[in-house]
Amino acid sequence: MDSKWARLSDDEDDRQRKRRKEKHERKSREASHSREGSHTPQPSLRLESGGGREESKLRMVMDARGAAGGRRGASYQAASVTTSPAATAAAATLNTAGTTTTLVPPALQPPSLSSSSPSAPLSSSSSSAAAGSTSSALYTVRRAASSSQHPVLSQCRSVENYEKLNRISEGTYGVVYRARDRETGDIVALKKLKLDQEKNGFPITSLREIYTLLLAKHPHIVNVREIVVGDTLTQIFIVMDFIEHDLKELMSEMPQPFLQSEVKTLMLQLLSATELLHENWILHRDLKTSNLLLNNRGEIKVADFGLARRYGEPQGVMTQPVVTLWYRAPELLLGSKHYTTAVDMWSIGCIFGELVNNEPLMPGRGEADQLERMFKLLGMPTETTWPGFSKLPFAHHVPKFYQPNNNLRSRFPYLTENGLDLMNRMLAFDPAKRITAEEALHHPYFSEGPAPKHPSMFPTWPSKGERTGKRATSPSAPVAHHGQGDDDELGAGGGLFNVASQESTGFRLRV
Amino acid sequence: MAAESKLSLQNALLTLEQLQHTPSMQDGFTEQQEDDMRQMGCHLIQSAGILLKLPQVAMATAQILFQRFFYQASLRKFAVRDISMGSIFLAAKVEECPCRMRDLVNVVDYLCKTFKRLPTIEPLALYGHEFYEMKNAAVIAEMQILKKLGFNVHVQLPYGIMVNYLKVLNLTDHPTIPQRAWGYLNDGLRTNVYICYQPPTIACSVVWLAAREAGVPLPTNPPWWEVLDASLEDVENIAGHIKTLYYRSLPISTLPLRIEQVEPWLVSQGQ
Repeated sequence: MDSKWARLSDDEDDRQRKRRKEKHERKSREASHSREGSHTPQPSLRLESGGGREESKLRMVMDARGAAGGRRGASYQAASVTTSPAATAAAATLNTAGTTTTLVPPALQPPSLSSSSPSAPLSSSSSSAAAGSTSSALYTVRRAASSSQHPVLSQCRSVENYEKLNRISEGTYGVVYRARDRETGDIVALKKLKLDQEKNGFPITSLREIYTLLLAKHPHIVNVREIVVGDTLTQIFIVMDFIEHDLKELMSEMPQPFLQSEVKTLMLQLLSATELLHENWILHRDLKTSNLLLNNRGEIKVADFGLARRYGEPQGVMTQPVVTLWYRAPELLLGSKHYTTAVDMWSIGCIFGELVNNEPLMPGRGEADQLERMFKLLGMPTETTWPGFSKLPFAHHVPKFYQPNNNLRSRFPYLTENGLDLMNRMLAFDPAKRITAEEALHHPYFSEGPAPKHPSMFPTWPSKGERTGKRATSPSAPVAHHGQGDDDELGAGGGLFNVASQESTGFRLRV
Repeated sequence: MAAESKLSLQNALLTLEQLQHTPSMQDGFTEQQEDDMRQMGCHLIQSAGILLKLPQVAMATAQILFQRFFYQASLRKFAVRDISMGSIFLAAKVEECPCRMRDLVNVVDYLCKTFKRLPTIEPLALYGHEFYEMKNAAVIAEMQILKKLGFNVHVQLPYGIMVNYLKVLNLTDHPTIPQRAWGYLNDGLRTNVYICYQPPTIACSVVWLAAREAGVPLPTNPPWWEVLDASLEDVENIAGHIKTLYYRSLPISTLPLRIEQVEPWLVSQGQ
């Protein structure tokens, strides 16, 4: 076998290279190169054993293959290919093949090529039938058609392609502007990343944000159009669709809470977006009403992936202080280093409560206060309701009071039994027992009356983003260790009663 | 055009135009020279990754980012050493296994000295000028990579797919094939196949190649690669590319690592 490589002499190198390039140019990029009919065998002339002096190595490979195949054909064993019915069928027909025949479905052979090319017998694939001009022309055409299937390499465009209109807000991670695309006239949101004092290169948190946003495409996740750069390397902007409202600011100006039918629609949208994230091994880690945008067509868009990250199995240790305090799950408050998608579900539970009552469910003033509010509302967890609870790092710091009752009903007197059940499942202390996004989507709450309101029936409100102004105040997520390349190993410092981390636990008002 | 084509789980691939007229070739490099420089960069990345104890996925991602970068920029403007450092630094973040800047700079400095056959006993001064220069170069290179690639740093790798294919073909227990195929995947990073083909096709190709060399017959009626949605032409082409790596030893000590070495080198090559 090795001899086929040894046959390459030096002077063949150049020709080979040329050949290689040609091959490259003609290679097909279509993964789904339609092969229906390839299992209705139609042997074509494949073999030219001991074929003429082929110049290119690749041709020699094919020759060698042909010759070897011809000798060995009869002894081919049917491998147990079990992936698909097609594969099984393939395996079943193997033993009957006396000689190696390559199957070329007639439909795939471009008629002009198969008739005109002398080298057709050598090739197995229609696109490589000939090196002549016909085939390259054909190839170019096909590539042009298929090139849209794959992302191509392209540089960042300049921010000059957008015309800044006004500043919308300034968060922990950067300023957001409203801008107009000079080409299309679309109104977009430009989020400028803060990259001022980065000692460790591009912050991993921003990288995660961009990365997850680019990967997570969903009707209810804010759409990132592209990343553009300014004049210097430190000016990076994320271009997103402009969405009129965020839920927080909207709810603060609504005279009464959302209707049940509206809550259901919003929750379904939020849950389906979360389901997609979790399916793709992405944790959002900062779900809250101010990160949920709402457009005038009644559609929620999950935004601000500044804390999002991918996670895997087995799980590594992840940063401890994540998620805005009011929406932070108990296992995080108690210092668990291994957490799961359940932390997002807890946040969704809090959002659910906030949507129903139009006020934050548990607006704690600090980590200890947050825990106390939890226990007062939901009852103290025990080893039976939450196995492993007492082993958590900060469990022995928990305030000593015994309040076994779940008081959720008193907070939501008008919620149906099913609604209350769903909320209780989302706010289950034990993360293992907490409902998942997928399960929640099938909860009876969403199928009982009143039915979810169709998004197009949602009321509209004047947009705040178009005027400059301060946003409703709400606490922000804990500041990630920006600029520390390995922020996830620094989690140990953050904790409930750790004096050193006090400053990161309290409020942070949005400017 | 950029917006919708960029965002995808699939790897970014080159267009024909990008492949034929690389920025370096437009800048006076020959194809051979460019290939050598690319191979050296990948060699540097792989070696540094091993010394830094990074997982192979990070090294693979770094090499693919490096390869992609030089289809967007010329070797005359960006030094192989700097972009290699930037790629490792960035890939380590993308793969969630960040490496320390100091370690990276020290390792790359050590390797560069080895490449040039210089004595390597003396490590970089702790707070020396050279250290800061390299560190800055790495940070700038990282930004340049992000910018030139439009922040599309998502890389799909064929390793997992290849293992699945081996399982499907009952080859997992073969004494040489899995290791050989794995090795071909690693070596293939030094070629441009990863930016010309999607991972499943590459996985098919290395299994095909390893099985050939072990003399193990695989189903051909219908051909197994067609069942796995790859065409023989692509499979052979990739195999050919990877194999050519072994027919030329890289003149590593003469190749320019830093930007100021490029011009003299090009001149000396011209003679």
